[in-house]
This record gives sequence, structure tokens and C-alpha cells, in this order.
Amino acid sequence: MERSLTLSPDPIDEPALVAARRMTGGMGAAVYFSGVVRRSEDAQPIAAIEYECFRPMAEHQFHKLFDEVERRWPVESVRLVHRLGVVRVNEPSLWVEVTAPHRGEAFAACQWLIDEMKRVVPIWKKPIA
Amino acid sequence: MTVRIQFWSYFKELTGCAQASEELPPGATLGDLTARLHARFPKLAAMEKSTLIAVGVEYQGREHVLKDGDEVSLFPPVQGG
Repeated sequence: MERSLTLSPDPIDEPALVAARRMTGGMGAAVYFSGVVRRSEDAQPIAAIEYECFRPMAEHQFHKLFDEVERRWPVESVRLVHRLGVVRVNEPSLWVEVTAPHRGEAFAACQWLIDEMKRVVPIWKKPIA
Repeated sequence: MTVRIQFWSYFKELTGCAQASEELPPGATLGDLTARLHARFPKLAAMEKSTLIAVGVEYQGREHVLKDGDEVSLFPPVQGG
């Protein structure tokens, strides 16, 4: 399974990510999710979220999750970008793409990966008013 | 033995520091370390049930036996995405 992980303070360039997609002929599904910073957190208005990351552990935990995706589904590739530092409202903080032969496994793997990321990957957010 | 401790997210505010170290007897566990830290940083004790602990880059439970030079991280529930 091809895998790509980017943890960076740089803005997420969705058009460039989509343009860089590579799929072999057997793949029939490309699912991607973009997580965007909302204008409120715990019912309070905010201007941005600051993301903090314990990078060595985050990278290790992400790769363990990718290993598990590979074990569970016939996924050809996973690409995941998580932005760090200050991300303003309406800007994406997370971008995840899964390619697979069929939509069922692509949706399932993408959903599972995001759910597990929120459980085990050491990234924290701090609202900025 | 000496272990180094890193605090993440708002645990840095609760303890007033990002890093600390503790001297522990051989065979000490993470449970022994957290008891020591809760006495040293009382605000951390209130977060005990939701505290996550890693040694190096792996999560570990309170029964985990520490080694000299271990790097232990304590943090609240993660919130990526």
C-alpha cells in the first residue's frame, strides 16, 4: 500500500493534492475527506485553532494505523495531511484520501482512519478567540 | 534511575512546565511515577482518569516497568482533525 503522511504548518493545497493522485487500473474508488476549522468551539466564537503535535509519536502512531488499514482493506494508497500551528476558520486542518478497488472499502477505511486518529494520534487543539 | 517527563497540551499549564525529571528506584512502574507526579503537581492529580501516558512513542499502562533514561509523556485526550 502506498502511504504518504505530511504534518506541516503550511496551508493544505487541495487542488494540488487531487492533481497529484495516482491510481492503477484496478482501482475504482478515490475517497477524500477535508476537515475544516469551524467558527465556534464549545459554543464560543473563535478565529482559529492552534494545533500542537508530539511529532515522533504522531508519526509512529499514524504508521501503525496505516499498517492496520492495509491489513483490513484492499487499499492501494493512503495520503494524509494534518496541518499544525494556527489554522484559521474556514481553512482545512486535515485532508485524508484513500484509493481502493470499490467505494465500500474506500469509505470504510477513510472513516476508520479518521476515527482512530482522533483516538490515538497525539495532536491537540487550542481555540484562539 | 532517572526518567524524563514531558507534558503536552494544557498539562503544561497545569504543571507550570513542559519537562521534568524524577529519580525512581529500580523496578518502579508508571503507576509509581504518576503517584510521585501527582504529589508534586496536585492539579495533575485531578486529571488522573483522562491522562494518557506514553513511554517513547508507545502508549503504556500504569503497570509498565520503567528503565533508566526512559522518556515519559503525559497528556490529555488527543484532539486531531
